Amino acid sequence: MNEELQLKLQAYLDGELPEAEAREVAAWLAQDSGAVGLMTELKNTRAALALHERGVNVPESREFYWSKIRREIERSDAAAHRPAPAPVSPFKWLRRALAPGMGLALVVATLFLITRPGTTAPGLGLTVATADAGTFTYRNFESGATLVWLPYPAENRLAGGGSGGNLQQQ
Amino acid sequence: MKLSALLAILILAVAGTAVRAAELKLEAQLVWASNQSTSPNPKHKPVEPEIKKKLESLPLKWSYFYEVKRQEFSVSDASETKVELSGKCQLEVRDLGDNKVEISLCGDGKVVWKGAQALPKKEILVLGGKAPGDTGWLVTIKRIE
Repeated sequence: MNEELQLKLQAYLDGELPEAEAREVAAWLAQDSGAVGLMTELKNTRAALALHERGVNVPESREFYWSKIRREIERSDAAAHRPAPAPVSPFKWLRRALAPGMGLALVVATLFLITRPGTTAPGLGLTVATADAGTFTYRNFESGATLVWLPYPAENRLAGGGSGGNLQQQ
Repeated sequence: MKLSALLAILILAVAGTAVRAAELKLEAQLVWASNQSTSPNPKHKPVEPEIKKKLESLPLKWSYFYEVKRQEFSVSDASETKVELSGKCQLEVRDLGDNKVEISLCGDGKVVWKGAQALPKKEILVLGGKAPGDTGWLVTIKRIE
């Protein structure tokens, strides 16, 4: 008896065969004592397992439990069919190394447009006539707000010094 | 003769009205910026939401902005308008036309910054600097008309 017939017999015992095939196996069992012997062995094994197998209860519902298994199979299949990564460019590391620096330089250039006396901050619509060195201008085009940040020691002059000075004395 | 004089007066009156209509109306505020959720000065009140939103769009490290003084004023191209925001902080503003204004920020009577800025409606110019106790002072200027 080959393996295929053995499996068919096991499927017959488990009630998994279509009706036509089940009838064929029943006829085969009526004629073949070897098949009957194997069938008896399978029945005994199943009975022994049923007696001693520990029942396991999963916390989820049956449908959810199997859906998890299905998703994991699908994920594994997708990973198996994923195309191989493109060959790494020899300049990739250089781009990676320079990108943060370039981004930072761009931000700094945007944030700190130094506006000295007599200069025009390009694109800001601002012309500076008098300013201390270190004054910078920032513009948020989206909100329509322009900030001129002065290194001016407000502590001593505008704010009046001390704890809050004139700002809080108003 | 009387008619021509009347016409001249009429023309002058109309022209005068037109000039007044062309004046820019601005609003300046002196603002104290802090990370304290309440100001130690009970007279301070949080700035209005529109100004707060604008200030929050700027790279400032403070979360709370208190209005110290707010003043509306008109500017013309004929002369500078002086706006006193505190005992030591004064603005001098002149209309340059085409929505542009020239602004001088004075501290202790000395000009510390002077510049010309296009100031269309809904836009704001903020001048600022550090103040004691890790706080900041800001002067906001916006056009209201």
